Amino acid sequence: MRRLLDSLKKSFRTFDKGMREDATSLIRKQLDEEENIFALLTMSVFSGIPSPPTGVVLRILPHMSREISVMTRRSAGLDDMFAQTMGTFDID
Amino acid sequence: MTALIVLVGAVFYIFFYFTYGKSLERNVVKADGARPTPAFTCRDECDYVPANKFVLFGHHFASIAGAGPIVGPAIAVVWGWLPALLWVWFGNLFIGSIHDYLSLMASVRYDGKSIQYISGELMGKSSKYIFEVYIYFTMILIVAAFMGVYGALASKSPEILTASVLFMGAALVEGQLLYKTKLPFWLSSAIGVALTILAIVVGFLWPFVNVPNLNLLYVLQVIYIILAAALPVWFLLQPRDYLNSYILWGGIIIASIAAVFAFRGFSWPAYTSFAARVISGQPSPFWPTVPLVIACGALSGFHSIVGSGTTSKQLDSELSGLFVGYGAMFMEGMLSTIVITSIGAFGFTVFQGFADKIAAAGFDLAKMQSDAGYFGQVGAAVINSKDIGVGGALGIFTKSFGQMLNVIKVPVKLGETLGGLWASAFVLTTLDTTNRLARYAFQELVEPLRKVSKGLHGILADKWVASILAAVLGLWLITKGGNMYTALWAGFAGANQLLASIAMLTAATWVKKVQKVGKGMLAAVLIPTFVLWVTVFAALVWFLFVIVPVSAPALQVVLGGFVVLMLILDIMLVINFFKSWNEGQHNNTAKP
Amino acid sequence: MKTYFFLGKGGVGKTTVSAAWSAGLAQSGLKTLVASIDPAHNLGDAFAVRIGDRIMHVGNNLDAVEVNIEDMIRAYLDEISAKMKSTYRYLSAMNIDGYFDILKNSPGIEEYATMEAIKKFVALKGYDAVVFDTPPTGMTIRVLAMPRVSLLWTDQLIKMRKRILSTRGMVENVRGKFEAEVDGERVVLSSSEKEDPVMQELVSYREELRALRDMFSSEQSYVNVVTMAEDLALSETKRIIESLDTFKIRVRTIFLNKFFAMANPPEEIKGKMEEQEGVIKRMKAEIRGIEVKDIPLLRKSPRGIDELLHVYLKYLV
Repeated sequence: MRRLLDSLKKSFRTFDKGMREDATSLIRKQLDEEENIFALLTMSVFSGIPSPPTGVVLRILPHMSREISVMTRRSAGLDDMFAQTMGTFDID
Repeated sequence: MTALIVLVGAVFYIFFYFTYGKSLERNVVKADGARPTPAFTCRDECDYVPANKFVLFGHHFASIAGAGPIVGPAIAVVWGWLPALLWVWFGNLFIGSIHDYLSLMASVRYDGKSIQYISGELMGKSSKYIFEVYIYFTMILIVAAFMGVYGALASKSPEILTASVLFMGAALVEGQLLYKTKLPFWLSSAIGVALTILAIVVGFLWPFVNVPNLNLLYVLQVIYIILAAALPVWFLLQPRDYLNSYILWGGIIIASIAAVFAFRGFSWPAYTSFAARVISGQPSPFWPTVPLVIACGALSGFHSIVGSGTTSKQLDSELSGLFVGYGAMFMEGMLSTIVITSIGAFGFTVFQGFADKIAAAGFDLAKMQSDAGYFGQVGAAVINSKDIGVGGALGIFTKSFGQMLNVIKVPVKLGETLGGLWASAFVLTTLDTTNRLARYAFQELVEPLRKVSKGLHGILADKWVASILAAVLGLWLITKGGNMYTALWAGFAGANQLLASIAMLTAATWVKKVQKVGKGMLAAVLIPTFVLWVTVFAALVWFLFVIVPVSAPALQVVLGGFVVLMLILDIMLVINFFKSWNEGQHNNTAKP
Repeated sequence: MKTYFFLGKGGVGKTTVSAAWSAGLAQSGLKTLVASIDPAHNLGDAFAVRIGDRIMHVGNNLDAVEVNIEDMIRAYLDEISAKMKSTYRYLSAMNIDGYFDILKNSPGIEEYATMEAIKKFVALKGYDAVVFDTPPTGMTIRVLAMPRVSLLWTDQLIKMRKRILSTRGMVENVRGKFEAEVDGERVVLSSSEKEDPVMQELVSYREELRALRDMFSSEQSYVNVVTMAEDLALSETKRIIESLDTFKIRVRTIFLNKFFAMANPPEEIKGKMEEQEGVIKRMKAEIRGIEVKDIPLLRKSPRGIDELLHVYLKYLV
C-alpha cells in the first residue's frame, strides 16, 4: 500500500514537472533569444560589429557568464535552426 | 461494432509494439541503454536536457497530434471506413511509425541534429534555397487548408465558433494568471481548465457568435492570424498551447470511453469504390492518393521534424525511444481509429438529421446508404455542400462525435461543441504558429534580394509585411480556390509526405551505412522507403494532372508550380540517395 | 569646486595657457590641481619641474600630475581580466587573455580611460579648482561627449535587461526560481532588478554617467579653446563650439595665441600679421557671447611658476 502511494506521489511529481515545462516552453525559448541578443550586443566587441562604448561593456562583462554561455551555445547550433524552430512551434 | 473496432485497434497496436517494434529496437536501431544520449553528452539545461520518458511522450504526442489526425480520416471515409482504417493501421505500422522512430533514433545518434541536417551529411546538400521556397509555400498551404477546414465548420456551427472565441478569452486570462501573478500553478491551471469547460458549455447554450458568411469568416481568421502571430508568446500562444494539452487528453479519454460503450454497429459503407470522389470532387484512386488525405495518424513528415528537432535532444535513454517515438505514433493511430469509428457508427445518424436538406440538394439519402458506389461518388459533395450544412470534414466528425457522446448521456450539441473545440483549438494554434514560421521562412527567402535592391528587400523583410503577406496569400488561395479545401489539404499533405520521404531516405541510408543490419531488417526499412517514395511521386503526378487542371485558374498556377517544385525536389532526393548508397563508407559523425 | 578644460590642437600653447591659468588660480588663494591628460605631456616643461603620474606639489596652493593613460588602460583591463578569470573558469579554455589583447586596442578604450581619469580627479576632496590640460581636440570632444553617448547605450541596455528580467519572472511564476548550471556551478538567475548583478552595474554606471554629464554642462565647469590667429582657426573654432553645443557644453573663452606683435615687422611677415589681425577682428565680431582673449607670441616660452604667473596676470585675466 505504502509503495503504491509512493509511486503515485512520484508520478504526480513527474506530471507536475512536465506540465510546468509545458506551460513555459515557448517563453523559455524567448528568454534564450533575449539573452542571446543581449550578449551579442554587449560582447560584440569580440566580433567586430558596432557595440556599446567600451566603458559599458567593461562594467558588465564580469557578470555575463550565463549570457556568454547562451551565446556560444546558440552560435554552435545556428546551422540547424529550422527543425528546432519548427519543433518548438507545434504545427500539426 | 464500435467497441470491437476500438478494442481490435488497441490490441493491434499493442501487439505490434511489442513484436515488430521491439524487433526494430533490437535489430535495426540496436538501442543500447548504456550509451549516453545527447541529452547527457550535450547537456546545456536548455535544449539538451534529459526528460522523464512519460513527460517526453506527453510533449512529443501533444506536438504531433493536432487537427491532422482528425481532419485526414474525416475526409478519407468517403472511400469507406474500412480502407481508411486499414491505412491508419497498416500504413502506420509499416511506414509511419518506423519513420517516426528511426528519425528520432538517427537524430539521437547524431548528437540531436535534425533529420534535415543529417540528410545533408549523408546524402549531400540539395539546394538549400529550393528547400526554403518549399517550406514557405508549405506554410501558406497549411494556412489556406486549415482556414478552409475551419471555415467550413464554423460557418455552420455557431456553437463551435462561440466556444472558440470564448476559449481564446480563457487562454488570455490563463496567460495573465500563470505568468503575471503569483497564484499557485495548479490553481491557475484549474481555473484555466474550468474556463475552457465554461467556454464549451456557454458555446452550447448561447451560441451568440454566428458568422454564416464564409468569406467574412476567412477575413476574420486572417486578422486573427496576423494579430496572434504579432503578440508576445506568453500572451496567447503559450497559455492556449498549454490548455490544448488538457483538451487533447480529455477528448481522447472521453472519446475512448464513449466509443467502447457505444456498442453500435457501423452504418457507414465499409468500402465505396477504389476511385471515390474524395479530393476536389475528382475520382481519387485510393492508391496512390490516400497519403494525400490521411497524413498524421498514418504517416507524416512533420513528425520527423518534431522528433529530431526537439524530442531527440531530451531523450533520457536509447531504450526510451521506442516508447516516445514509436509509441506516440501508435497513439495517434488510435486517435484516428476513434475518429473513424465515430463517423463509421454515427455518420449516417448525422445524415438522417439533414434528410430534408439532402433531398433538397438533389441527393438520394437512402441510396447513399444502400449503394456504396453511389456514396463514393456523392459522399464528399454532401459533406461539403454549403446548402446542406454538415460543415465539411470537421463537421461530419464533430456531429458524429456528438452523437457518440450521447451514448454516455452527453447532450448531442454539447458533445458536438466539445469535439468542435478540440479540433478548433488545434487549428487556431496551427494558424498562429504557421504564420510565425512563414515569417521566418520568408525573411530567409528574400535574403538574396538584398544584393539586388536594398529598398525592396527592406520592405519585404519587414516582419509585418512578411506576416501579412503569408496570411493574405493563404486567404487568396482558399477564396480563389472556390473554397475547395480538399485540394489544398491534399497539397499540404503532399508537401508533408515529401518531408517524410526525405526522412525515410535518410533513415534508410543511416541504417545501411552506419547500422549494418541484416538483410531482413534492412528490407523492413527499405521496402517502406521505396513504397513511400513511389507513392508520393505517383500521388503528386496524379495531383498535377487531375486536380490542378480542374482548379480555379489562380490556383492552377500556384498549386501546379508548387507540385512541380516538389517533384523536382523528390527526384533530386532519390538521385542523391542512390549516389550515396553506392558510395562506400564515408566520413560521418554518427555512432553505430 | 570649479573645473577648467583647455582644448586645442597640438602646438597652440594649450599647456602654457592651462599651466598659467592654474598658477593664477593658486595665487588667488584657491587650492588648485592641474592635471595633464594629454598623452603628449608638456606640463613638466611648463613648470620646469619633472612631474610624474603621482600628484605632487609644485607651488603654493598648487599641485600637478601627468596621467599615464596607457598604464590606466592596462590596469583596468588587468582588473577586469582577473575578475573574469575567477567567474568564467571554463572560458579559460577560450583563451581570455587573447580577448583582452584585442580589447586594449578597441575603439573607445582610450576615451574611456581618459573619462575615468577626469572622474577620479573631480572626485578628489580638498581642491577648489581642477585644471585639465587635454588631449588634441578630436579626442577631447569625444571624451566630453562620452557621458551622453554612453547614456544612450546604457538606457537601451537597461531596457533590454528589464525585458529579460520580466521574461524570467514569468517563467519563475510557474517553475520557481530559475537555476542554471554555469561552469559547473548551480547559479540562481534572478528576475528582480535588485538581485541581478548586471542590472545593478548598469544602473550604478548610469548614475555615474549622469553625474559626469551634468558636471560638464554645469555653471561650475569652464571649457575653453586655445587656438592660433589663422584663417583656418576661425572655422575650426566655430565647429568646436557647435559640436560642444550639441552636447550642451558651453565654450567660455577663446584664447588666440601666438600672434605676431611687433613694432617694426620685416617685409616677410607683414602679410601674415595682416591676416592675423583680420582673423582676430572677425573672431571677435562673429563669435558672440564668448570672450576672446589674444596672447601675442612671447619672446621666450614661459618656464617656471613665476613666469607663468606673469603671463596669467598680463594676458589671461
